[in-house]
Amino acid sequence: MNQPGLRASWPTRPAVLTDPAGVSERSGRVLAPGGGGRSAESWKKDIVRQLKHRDLSQHAMFQDLIRFYTQLLEKTSLAKGILSCSVRRPSSDSSSSVSSLLQRNNQLKKTTGELAYQVVELQQQIKIKECVLEEQHARLSEEERRLAGVLDARQELQERVGQVQEKNGALKMEYDVLLERQREAETRLREEKVKEGHLLEDMIHLKKQAAARMNSRNERRSRARQANLQKELQTAARSKVTVDSSSSAPTSRSTSPKKENHDPESTEKPHTRLFRSASATSPRILNSIRELFDRKRRGHSVCSLEEDLMCPVGICVSARVPVRARQALEAHEQGINAVRFSSSSDLLATGGTDRVIKLWEVRAGSLTHRATLEGSTEGVTCIDFNPTGLKILAASYDKSALLWQRDESVPKLTLTGHSRKVTAARFSSLPHQVVTGSADRTIRLWDLHRAACVQVADVPSYCSDLVCSENSIISGHYDCKIRVWDTRTVSCVQELPAQGKVTSLDISSDHRQLLSCCRDDCLQLVDLRRWSNDRMCFRAEGFKCGSDSTKAVISPDGCFLAAGSADGAVYIWNFSTGKLETRLPDQHSSSISAVSWSLSGEHVVSVDKRGLAVLWSDI
Amino acid sequence: MADDKDVLRDVWFGRIPTSFTLNQDEVTEREAEPYYLLLPRVSYLTLVTDKVKKHFLKVMRAEDVEEMWFEYEGTPLKWHYPIGVLFDLHASNTVLPWSITVHFKNFPDSDLLHCPSSSVVEAHFMSSIKEADALKHKSQVVNDMQKKDHKQLWMGLQNDKFDQFWAMNRKLMEYPTEEGGFRYIPFRIYQTMSDRPFIQRLFRPVSPEGNVHTLGDLMKEMDPAALPNDGEPKRYQVVIHGIEPLLETPLQWLSEHLSHPDNFLHICESHNPPSPVLSSVYISTPPTTTPPLLLSEDLFIGREG
Repeated sequence: MNQPGLRASWPTRPAVLTDPAGVSERSGRVLAPGGGGRSAESWKKDIVRQLKHRDLSQHAMFQDLIRFYTQLLEKTSLAKGILSCSVRRPSSDSSSSVSSLLQRNNQLKKTTGELAYQVVELQQQIKIKECVLEEQHARLSEEERRLAGVLDARQELQERVGQVQEKNGALKMEYDVLLERQREAETRLREEKVKEGHLLEDMIHLKKQAAARMNSRNERRSRARQANLQKELQTAARSKVTVDSSSSAPTSRSTSPKKENHDPESTEKPHTRLFRSASATSPRILNSIRELFDRKRRGHSVCSLEEDLMCPVGICVSARVPVRARQALEAHEQGINAVRFSSSSDLLATGGTDRVIKLWEVRAGSLTHRATLEGSTEGVTCIDFNPTGLKILAASYDKSALLWQRDESVPKLTLTGHSRKVTAARFSSLPHQVVTGSADRTIRLWDLHRAACVQVADVPSYCSDLVCSENSIISGHYDCKIRVWDTRTVSCVQELPAQGKVTSLDISSDHRQLLSCCRDDCLQLVDLRRWSNDRMCFRAEGFKCGSDSTKAVISPDGCFLAAGSADGAVYIWNFSTGKLETRLPDQHSSSISAVSWSLSGEHVVSVDKRGLAVLWSDI
Repeated sequence: MADDKDVLRDVWFGRIPTSFTLNQDEVTEREAEPYYLLLPRVSYLTLVTDKVKKHFLKVMRAEDVEEMWFEYEGTPLKWHYPIGVLFDLHASNTVLPWSITVHFKNFPDSDLLHCPSSSVVEAHFMSSIKEADALKHKSQVVNDMQKKDHKQLWMGLQNDKFDQFWAMNRKLMEYPTEEGGFRYIPFRIYQTMSDRPFIQRLFRPVSPEGNVHTLGDLMKEMDPAALPNDGEPKRYQVVIHGIEPLLETPLQWLSEHLSHPDNFLHICESHNPPSPVLSSVYISTPPTTTPPLLLSEDLFIGREG
């Protein structure tokens, strides 16, 4: 670059990278490669030289030029930018400078005025702002006061919140407790419901059983009835009615007083019909006899019409005084309290302290065990058959009276209501009604259809026994009184005195004579028609009433009285003579508690406190 | 050796004065000034022309700008050749500064590779280094390097840091002394008159007999026609980095010192203008070339004004 000649030569010269000297030198070397005397590193020197030259020509020469150019380029662009910006600036000349200055002065004055105005304005604004500020201060203080008040209120409210929360906690606890209790109660309720369900099921089950039992009972009863009828029909068909003169005489004899008895006009009639030679033992004969009197009886009676039609009712024409014991057997394990013959057949029922009732059949002069009726939970005190003999009623120490069908061992009904032991239970004259007397000093009437107590009569004393007449109940008491009750009004209509505690009562089959047995060892017979105080007393040497429940009976034909004594003998009195007819000793070793005379009049059974039953007969 | 180090420096700092002018077909808002730049020979066009692009974009409308590419006398310049190679190959005989035309549209897809960013240049550069090392050391050296060492090589080139680059490149230039050189010399011979891009074959630095191969041996092997017969004038120039090393120069030394940063020895073979003409021109020029010189000087002055 410092050589003008060299620089001038560049553009025109073709691109030769080496100077002429170099070319010549190199060509010389090429021509004589590896020539002697040359340095082995000559090629390197050559390269270094060429490189230096190359840089000189290509680099160094242009370095500054290009740098300058670039600088110029930058400056140019900068200048261009400045120029383009200042193109619109007016060029100020000296002549207009004064006017412009004046103008500017004016302008400045104007500006000053404006500024002064602005100052005034701003001052006003400051005042306004100060007012506002004061106002705000006032408001601020007010707000602070209010804030303090509100804070107080807040404090108060917080306290109240605390209180309410405490209350809530307490309530919550209470609620929890209640909830727990409710849960328990619900649990109990559920349990109870389950129990109820079980009970209901049990009840339904029991009802079903009862229904089934009832059905079978009914069936059995109807079958038995049918069998009875058939049997009777057969016997009726087989046997011919041949009434000879010897048998017809007593029949006619026996009928005549009955006729007189039913005659209301014949008020006075002595007990003159005494006969004991002949007796009608066959039920068929009895039936025929009964038929003879049927009309009259019907006219007199209103209650037993139905059953009389349905079943034969035996009437004893003549009872025979037993003379010896046919059989003595240990009927019960414990003492026997009651014995009773059925009024329609030869069936005998005994009941004792061992809580069962046994049914016996008297056949060929001996007792045959037929059935055992269970159901009482205590000892049996009294037994009664209904007129048809199909139902058996018993009074029990367990404060109830029980009713069985003859063919069933379990009770059909249990009449509960008395508060102490039931001492007497009898079928009433109404077919569906029974009467019970109890140690609780009440007499109750029960409706069997409803199995419920329909009437209660309070009595002043312990009732030891009772019997039923038409529309009246006669009860014996420990206060030495015999009371007569009207069943319709349930009121005491009459009181009869007795000599001691009444232990038993019996009424004759014609409902005329009432027999009472007292602890004064005397049997009393009262004529119910007369209601008079004259009575017959029957005593005997050695006869002693053994207990408070010793039972005495009238024979079915009304001619004899029988009672068991404490010395183990049976005493039989003649009604008409008032004298002791016979004494039957040596069978019982303990006190006799009851005797019963069979409807046929043939047999007497006595039972004692040791469970022994003795069958007496005249043969 | 101090000389060798100087050679490396000279090679690294070789510059080519270049004048960039916008293609006349480009639509501009105002006239575009040419831009002058000293291009480093060892670098790549797209790596060093950011300023050029910025300069010309000032006058361009944004919607007209596509990818920038360069052209010299109708020849698109491949950016993936080192700048020095492009110059020696296409413009060794031209008047300096090298005048390159800048284009912003009609990218010649058939001739040029797209270069969207410098990472593409980096990938190309690193692949060249790896290829060269495969030839020299069976890739052992480059594979032993870490990623940051590769990065150091690239950053040295990108930021024109000679010491940074050579601190790492030194390892690539080592060889076991008993073998006397690399396994093969990584070289490429570009021929202006040939259609193929370049010649690249396996060539050992030392002959089987133990003789050291020289540049002349290589040229004889690769292109016998390049060498002048005895007595004949030289027909071809063998140019490396703008100089013509002597043919007796040992090839191993050339590979170590005159290789480009991509570790290849790029050799350009171009027609040699006949020496007589050269000399006659040289001799006769001073009187005849004055007016153009003045003209050009006027141009310069005018621009400065």
